[in-house]
Amino acid sequence: MNELLKTWTDSWAANQQALLKSIFPVPPATAGGAKVDSMRPSLDEQFAELRDTWKASIEKWAEFAKEGSKPGALTPEALRELLAPARWSGPGAGAFDYGLRQVLEGPKFATLWDLDRKLLELNQLAVQRDKDVAAYQLIVQKAWNTAFERFSKSLLGTKAQVPDSWRGLTDRWLTVANETLIEVYRSNDFIEAQRRMLRSASDYRLQERRIAEAYCEACHIPTRTEMDEMQRSVTELRRQLRVLQRATRPQRAIDKTQAPQRKRKLRAAGSAARKSTDA
Amino acid sequence: MTVAKKSAATQALAEINDFNLKMARGHRMLQRIKDEDVQIATADKEVVIREDKTTLYRYKPTAKRRLNVPVLVAYGLIGRYTMTDLQEDRSMLRNLLALGVDVYAVDWGSPTRSDRWLTFEDYVDGYLNDCVEFICREHQLPAINLLGICEGGVFSLCYAALYPQQVKNLILTITPVDFHQDQAEGRANHGFINLWTRGLSAEDIDRLIEANGNLPGELMSYVFSLMTPGATLSKYNVGLLDTFDDEKKLLNFLRMEKWLTDRPHHPGEAAKQLLVNLYKHNELIRGEFQLGGRTVDLGDIKVPVLNVYAKDDHIIPPKTTQALRTAVGSKDYSEIGLDGGHVGVFVSGKSQGVLGKGIVDWLRKRD
Repeated sequence: MNELLKTWTDSWAANQQALLKSIFPVPPATAGGAKVDSMRPSLDEQFAELRDTWKASIEKWAEFAKEGSKPGALTPEALRELLAPARWSGPGAGAFDYGLRQVLEGPKFATLWDLDRKLLELNQLAVQRDKDVAAYQLIVQKAWNTAFERFSKSLLGTKAQVPDSWRGLTDRWLTVANETLIEVYRSNDFIEAQRRMLRSASDYRLQERRIAEAYCEACHIPTRTEMDEMQRSVTELRRQLRVLQRATRPQRAIDKTQAPQRKRKLRAAGSAARKSTDA
Repeated sequence: MTVAKKSAATQALAEINDFNLKMARGHRMLQRIKDEDVQIATADKEVVIREDKTTLYRYKPTAKRRLNVPVLVAYGLIGRYTMTDLQEDRSMLRNLLALGVDVYAVDWGSPTRSDRWLTFEDYVDGYLNDCVEFICREHQLPAINLLGICEGGVFSLCYAALYPQQVKNLILTITPVDFHQDQAEGRANHGFINLWTRGLSAEDIDRLIEANGNLPGELMSYVFSLMTPGATLSKYNVGLLDTFDDEKKLLNFLRMEKWLTDRPHHPGEAAKQLLVNLYKHNELIRGEFQLGGRTVDLGDIKVPVLNVYAKDDHIIPPKTTQALRTAVGSKDYSEIGLDGGHVGVFVSGKSQGVLGKGIVDWLRKRD
């Protein structure tokens, strides 16, 4: 079989050489022409060389693939997690997030339209906001649990200590809930959770605005930023106007008081002139 | 044993009956009352100045004038001045009018995104100054009495420090001065806004304002609701139920709701000054607050000062406002501490005879 293959390859190579020679005729034989032919690697050697190069290349790719596999990559486990219904209720999904982050954190190209990137950023901010809301709700939920525990304990006292009407019970519950919630609302965890929630909600809104503005610019509609800039100018102009009005107001008052005097002086000067001419 | 059981069952039945009857009565009242029946700020007044969104009102007299110098009431931007005239029998403005005071009140309007760039300077050096100058011109007076409420009290303090020649007497009600004294009395339900604001970074506040243009009224309502979780929880159930005994009570409740719903947005740049410069950095009491390149020095306030505070004010805890005593330059400084909370000082039945009379008695001696 090998012999047959060798014969076929030799004949195919010879045919190819003949074809190539006919297309690119060999220049007149040089002194060392025979030597050049003898220096050419044999077909076996060429194949071996090709095989080695291929092998080295595969090894490099294998090494590269090993370097690139990070824990958040789309592994079968990550895919399973992505498709698990239990995961859907939570904010974000590990491997999906990882993929998004890879896209978002990559370099930007100057001449490519980047609306898809903006939308991805919006999605990422929505995920962050949802996470922050969930963290906040967790703290609040814990507070409600604590309040209910305290309320239940307060009902375990003597009969005299337990309210005997629905209103008494309601008032007791409201008092306990009020105290517990105030206590939690003043905690560092709550304040920080609220801060994060507010911040991520603001960041999300600003990203929404960026997308809306991209659309507005494309459709010749004034953007929010442009409107804000215009309003700023109007506010500054109003300030300047107010300053000018104020500066002229006392001046007018002085003018009013001085105007008759000036007229009187003019009249006096006129009558004096008249007197002198009369004289 | 049987007697006790019967007694409990009877009690339960009676309670259920009472409850159902109350609900039915309340339902009937709510069906009868229309939104137009729930009116606030109805004292007779006229517009005397309108500048941008600011309106200056002059109230029609209801009694013979007993004070020569008029009073200008300046509310803040978180909430609306209408709280000072919530209803006929709960109205600081009507009480002042009845005691012979010539009353003006400034309404800052309803700021929108277009007012985002307005600052404290615009309100103090601009609108408030224009109102004061107008009243001075109208009455041929060099100075008037200025009455500031809450953030309007801060405006009034700044104004009195920067324009001392135009203020004859300064009256402050529920006004924050030292924003870091919120826990001086160690009361857990006091000063949540102070704590909440200090928890935010200046950048968080910038982003919030950038995203919304203003400090949204809804956000402030939400923060206020966190300060009294029990009341927030019970307001529309037990609270409302309690008003079903009496239509007058229900109307009071609905008027307060109307005022609370009407919470304007706070212009963005002014909100940054309030939250960052005042609440976070406490610049007013430290003598570092800058307005239009000038420093507001409370020591420059040499006119008589009356500081009215609520003893159970959870929004402006007493110590945050009483700090003015040592900061102000005036030798004539008085305080009136009233029972009740932040809004209760103006709208509670108990305070009606006290607040207006206290202010007018104090002014008469300095008229």
